[in-house]
Amino acid sequence: MSRLARNIELQCKIPTVGASGINVVKFKDYDLLYGNGMPIRYVAFPFPVAGQPKSVHKSYVEGNDLLSGKPMMPAIIDALTKPLTADEKKSGMPPGAAPEPRLLKPATETNLQRLFKDKEWTDFNPIILPTEARVAEMLKGTSRKPNEMVSKFGSRELTVEKVAIYAVMAGARPEYFPTILATATQAASFGNSTSSMANMIVVNGPVRKQIGMNSGIDAMGPFNEANSIIGRTFTLAGKIMGDLRINAGAYSTLGSSLQYNNVCYAENEELLPDGWQPLSVEMGYKRTDNVVSVGTGWSYISSVGESQRKHPPHMLIRDYMRSLTGMGATVVMDPTVAKLIKDVHGFKTKAELSEWLAKNVEVTAATYWGNGVNTTAMTPMALQGLEPFATWLKAPPETMIKPFNNAKSIQVVVTGGNIQTTWFVTDFRFGRGVKIDDWK
Amino acid sequence: MKRKILIGSFLLVMAALFVMAGTPSTNQSTAQKATGERLITVLNPAISSKVVERVPLGPRIETVEVKTIYLVDMQWGGPEAAYSVFEEMQGWFAKNMPSVKTEIRRTGDGPFASDDAKLRKEIVEKKVAAVVIGIGG
Repeated sequence: MSRLARNIELQCKIPTVGASGINVVKFKDYDLLYGNGMPIRYVAFPFPVAGQPKSVHKSYVEGNDLLSGKPMMPAIIDALTKPLTADEKKSGMPPGAAPEPRLLKPATETNLQRLFKDKEWTDFNPIILPTEARVAEMLKGTSRKPNEMVSKFGSRELTVEKVAIYAVMAGARPEYFPTILATATQAASFGNSTSSMANMIVVNGPVRKQIGMNSGIDAMGPFNEANSIIGRTFTLAGKIMGDLRINAGAYSTLGSSLQYNNVCYAENEELLPDGWQPLSVEMGYKRTDNVVSVGTGWSYISSVGESQRKHPPHMLIRDYMRSLTGMGATVVMDPTVAKLIKDVHGFKTKAELSEWLAKNVEVTAATYWGNGVNTTAMTPMALQGLEPFATWLKAPPETMIKPFNNAKSIQVVVTGGNIQTTWFVTDFRFGRGVKIDDWK
Repeated sequence: MKRKILIGSFLLVMAALFVMAGTPSTNQSTAQKATGERLITVLNPAISSKVVERVPLGPRIETVEVKTIYLVDMQWGGPEAAYSVFEEMQGWFAKNMPSVKTEIRRTGDGPFASDDAKLRKEIVEKKVAAVVIGIGG
């Protein structure tokens, strides 16, 4: 909203006022300093606005602006007519924050541990302090130079040395470092949304075994050093690069405990049924490539018990997927489930299963548009006539639609210990994976 | 009696000093002496934030009377999420400041767009005097 207001102010030479919910307007000062640069004038309504009846909206307009305390409409008129203050006339570079020094001032371990927590540089689990010797040791895990950029968030540059610091803090071994660096290229996608997003990290290729990742029993649980620490490092990198601190840049309303290690695991490539390819190969890589894929999503739900002959896994997966948004899904299944689906039910490839699910998951138009993410993201496309969204928007509420209109947005990953026919349906969506060997 | 009070006071002061010495402090030398910990140097995890260039706010108008104001719905939460808020604003102007002409518009690309060239063109062509944009949430 602030960018839109800024563009209208600059291009049209007319005043604007941003009307915001009180929930997000608290971030305006941070946005001014690091994002927008123009001191947009705001008024604030109570939150929530969406989903409220018209009577509540009327009371909001007749009530007070929560920023100035004045009646809302006079406050809006003031914002458009009151002369600019000296601060609002400022231009050029502000004094701003001083550059961060490479080293912190010498201190005791106790005080440094406290400082790291006070600055929100940790996940509030114990960390290993990044001494120069420890970071230098970590850097031996890559041929990349310490000052090389790995990722960028706005003007904030994540370098190889910074990632090494986070890897030390999380307790990583140098042999994990190329995988950690490849994962950190996606650090800007670390979940930070009012909707409380999280991430999923999947590793494919020979590197899984070389660094001791778990793709067997308890692959997704807290039972393996590499799985745990690679995932944890992603959290530290995402939080610090994004400057995600409470009452600063972090704004997930519920948050997600999945973010402690970002559902980091390896695919059980050894137990894939014949014809079923690893996630990385489905993305176009060779089976010998070492690849890490980082997905974003919110949640997963479990089949819990044994697969049933009368209503086999692919049908129950279909049923569960009716509760997802339709923007994408990842089905994570034990090797026993993959074998059943392939051998008994004839899905020769992961893609065949994805296509079947895309064709058979159906929800009502009302359910589809009842999801705020679908409504926010897809309605503008529907209003511009883009199909199938335009047809879905016009459809009567009880019309059945197939929300997964792109089968490729449904991924399948096989992992686990072969001791229960359990699967998870998740709403995580993967971008293209990153080659780990590029970061060796 | 006096001696007992003096001894008691002395013990209290010593106890207080002992407690204070055990309290974490930002004073490094005090902390070091108290805990026996040596000072260490570590790398800074923080990344420098580059502040952006300040751009002045555009000039305000003297009054909204006899002017056209666009009420722009960015559709956060969907096209119906906040539309009636703008309708209420429109109603307020009609009742309280009838010389003000208001029109409700929706952004073309939804809530994630940082610009809307088509809308800006229309604003200029129609000599719109001011814009209310919302509702962020």
